[in-house]
Amino acid sequence: MWVYDKKTEYPINIKRPDPRMAKLILTQYGGPNGELAASLRYLSQRYAMPNKESKAILTDIGTEELAHFEMVGAMVTQLVKDVPPQELERMGFGPVYAIHGKGVYPSDSNGVPFTAAYIESMSDPIANLNEDLAAEQKARATYEFLINMADDPDVIDPLRFLREREIVHYQRFGEALRIVYEAMRRKKMYYKPANVMGMAENKDMDNKMNIMPNPMDANPVSPINIHNIPGPIMPEVKPDKKK
Amino acid sequence: MDGKNELLEQIRALDFALIDLNLFLDTHPSDENALKDFKMLAETRQKLHKQFTEKYGPLRMIQGATDDCWLWVNDPWPWDTMRWEELKGGMANVGLRQENRVPDKY
Repeated sequence: MWVYDKKTEYPINIKRPDPRMAKLILTQYGGPNGELAASLRYLSQRYAMPNKESKAILTDIGTEELAHFEMVGAMVTQLVKDVPPQELERMGFGPVYAIHGKGVYPSDSNGVPFTAAYIESMSDPIANLNEDLAAEQKARATYEFLINMADDPDVIDPLRFLREREIVHYQRFGEALRIVYEAMRRKKMYYKPANVMGMAENKDMDNKMNIMPNPMDANPVSPINIHNIPGPIMPEVKPDKKK
Repeated sequence: MDGKNELLEQIRALDFALIDLNLFLDTHPSDENALKDFKMLAETRQKLHKQFTEKYGPLRMIQGATDDCWLWVNDPWPWDTMRWEELKGGMANVGLRQENRVPDKY
């Protein structure tokens, strides 16, 4: 579940309305590289994640993207506040005003409505995380295009903040991808740890966990599966009754 | 207004630092320095949050009620850019103690 904080993540306080900029920024609200797409992508993909780090990072970044969604919405609404319709039309906001008035509707800056076709959510964590890395870079580039077209510091400041966050998210997704890769590599090592502690052997457990001697490495580095990934599902071997 | 924005700014900065540390700790769950920073900042945030809520109203729904008032509903909401005239005429003062209300003269 979620808890709402009655404040934006970064202050949005635009004193000079600019309908032209409002229309452009709209793409980060409901466009292909926007915050809504990002949030839905991560919050849907997290169910496919194999270990605790990747589950956590997708949940928490997906949550932060919702905060950014709110920031972009606040920017759009403040940029058209108190602007008369003639002025909106003159500044290029006319097509949006004709459909939604000054309402903040999730679409890109051409008015194309938001669609879940912008995102993918697969059962393959590697495919998901690579998509997330690309998404962060696309959002970063979009913010740079927007900053290039902006002239008001009140607008540029939050855009720069959002751009920087995309870079941090990219970094964290890269780490998550590495952790998942390492865990998956580990997952391919099937072996039975030597019983050095002289503990009572639990044959039943061994059978359940599909543990078998490691054919490649007689002395494995670590018998501990630190990322808690379940072992591969092995075909059931029926004991030969003839012998 | 008498330090409201300054205090909110401090809370925002702390919350942001905590969000960033949160993401870092997700992929480095046993980083001792980050854990130390997180605990320290979380403590400070708790204090400022309490101070802000007592003086200017709730930031979280759970702190929204007094004996006779639902403070959570009050303006301003995060996207509002309200002038003092609007705040005075609106819901900003409902349920707040006299000394914390939006002053008539600004």
